Amino acid sequence: MSRISGAIHEMQTIEESASRDQWVNRLHPLVKFLVTLFYLVCVVSCGRYDLPRVLGLALYPFVLFELTDLPLGQALCRLRLVLPLVCIVGIFNPLLDRRPGAELLGFTLTLGLLSMLTLMAKGILTVLASYLLVATTPVEGLCAAMRMVHIPRMIVVEFLLIWRYLSLFMNEVQKTTEAYRLRAPGQKGIAMKYWGSLMGSMLLRSIDRAGEVYEAMCLRGFTGDFPSGRFPGAGRRDLVYLAGFGAGILFLRLFPVLVLIGSIVAR
Amino acid sequence: MSHIHIEVKDLSFSYGQDRKILDRISFTAREKDAIGIIGANGAGKSTLLKLLVGLLDGFEGSIRVEEIPVEKRTLQRVREKIGYVFQDADNQLFSVNVYDDVAFGPRNYGLPEEEVDRRVRKALARVHLEGFDEKPVHRLSGGEKKLVSIATILSMTPDILLMDEPSAALDPRNRRNLIRILGEFDHLKILTSHDLDFIWDTCSRVLVLHQGGILYDGDPDTILRDEKTLAMVGLELPLSLTVR
Ligand SMILES: Nc1ncnc2c1ncn2[C@@H]1O[C@H](COP(=O)(O)OP(=O)(O)O)[C@@H](O)[C@H]1O
Ligand SMILES: [Mg+2]
Repeated sequence: MSRISGAIHEMQTIEESASRDQWVNRLHPLVKFLVTLFYLVCVVSCGRYDLPRVLGLALYPFVLFELTDLPLGQALCRLRLVLPLVCIVGIFNPLLDRRPGAELLGFTLTLGLLSMLTLMAKGILTVLASYLLVATTPVEGLCAAMRMVHIPRMIVVEFLLIWRYLSLFMNEVQKTTEAYRLRAPGQKGIAMKYWGSLMGSMLLRSIDRAGEVYEAMCLRGFTGDFPSGRFPGAGRRDLVYLAGFGAGILFLRLFPVLVLIGSIVAR
Repeated sequence: MSHIHIEVKDLSFSYGQDRKILDRISFTAREKDAIGIIGANGAGKSTLLKLLVGLLDGFEGSIRVEEIPVEKRTLQRVREKIGYVFQDADNQLFSVNVYDDVAFGPRNYGLPEEEVDRRVRKALARVHLEGFDEKPVHRLSGGEKKLVSIATILSMTPDILLMDEPSAALDPRNRRNLIRILGEFDHLKILTSHDLDFIWDTCSRVLVLHQGGILYDGDPDTILRDEKTLAMVGLELPLSLTVR
């Protein structure tokens, strides 16, 4: 399988896992959306050097991976393109800030190193939490949830169309590269001089198709609203989830659990 | 006389400044008609269908669907009456699984979820795809996708069915399937095709589009045996009429 069809396949399996019939998937999308949002705020708002607190917050994605039996390894593998990007952000911090920050097993960690590690951890955790949301909630559900919290319709529709457009575009890329490869056997990759014209035709075709998909939606009564009839009011289960996870995340945010455990163990 | 469902009067259309694709064409379609629109590639068949559902604007003349003039303000109402099946099923289906796609239209009309469910099951039954609801759309075969795309329209219970090149890319079994499904839809339907055998099997009236105008409007029997006219518009006799 080529890399591109691999990527398409992965997107489709994410969508498929989102429509699995499983308790987390059945939860009200708004509840999952709010919990995820709250988690992101909690992670991002941790202090620059507050590595223990951020690591404590890692409990949430791991618990959720456990509960949903989505394979963590597979998730890391799928996110292999994004994760290095979020890790690269703080990479120069250790060079810039050499003041001593903390002691660990006799080594002195500089503040720069600490802030780099904290940033990386924050990046990875936010990506994982977003992945968990997308992998357990169909995209229409997400859109409906966003509308319920009054995110402007324009933005939500845009989000939906980009989501759909991405898979169309990758589809066109796959078709085009396959057609190219069949007529250029034995060649590795695509010769540079064709990049322009191939790229152009892929863009045009996928935009055409996206236009038609949008027309098909409009013909079936799509007006930019996401009917919430499918998601009747949140039930007991949803409220329990919201309260439970909300409180758990808040607890992890307020108390650096790792430090507490550490001090208990040290005593 | 059954009542008129679609009335097209002096309809002209061109994309941008170019030549006119359709030039002052007129016709009416009645409740039980099964109309096949034929013509060479590029004759304007798809364009005509898109005009009927209001996907293209800037036309001259008038189009009325069940007495409602097709214009920006009435699109919502017109589209509740007309179902349009795209030529490329891939562009019509955009949900993850079959059920959600077939339910998309009814949900947008704000129907209660039990009614949506009833309609989805009925539509899937009509295209003989019971039990396909949980299947991921991208795992379907081309023929199955076509049938699902028809179900997505049937679930909206349209009075009129438009289909662009429905038989393209179907294997013989799915083609027979489709012919039967079309036969069971006893409202007005309009299809385009250059597959004249398919038209022969499904239509009771034929319109020939040629150079922007309607060259023929009448029963299939006469035109589909008229080798000379067909050749002139770039089509060939249906196979089923040539082999004896
Ligand atoms: N979006 C468009 N922009 C410009 N020209 C178009 C567009 N779509 C179709 N055409 C032109 O209009 C003519 C009729 O097209 P179409 O209705 O698709 O024909 P048919 O369906 O009969 O094959 C063709 O010459 C085609 O090139
Ligand atoms: Mg066409």
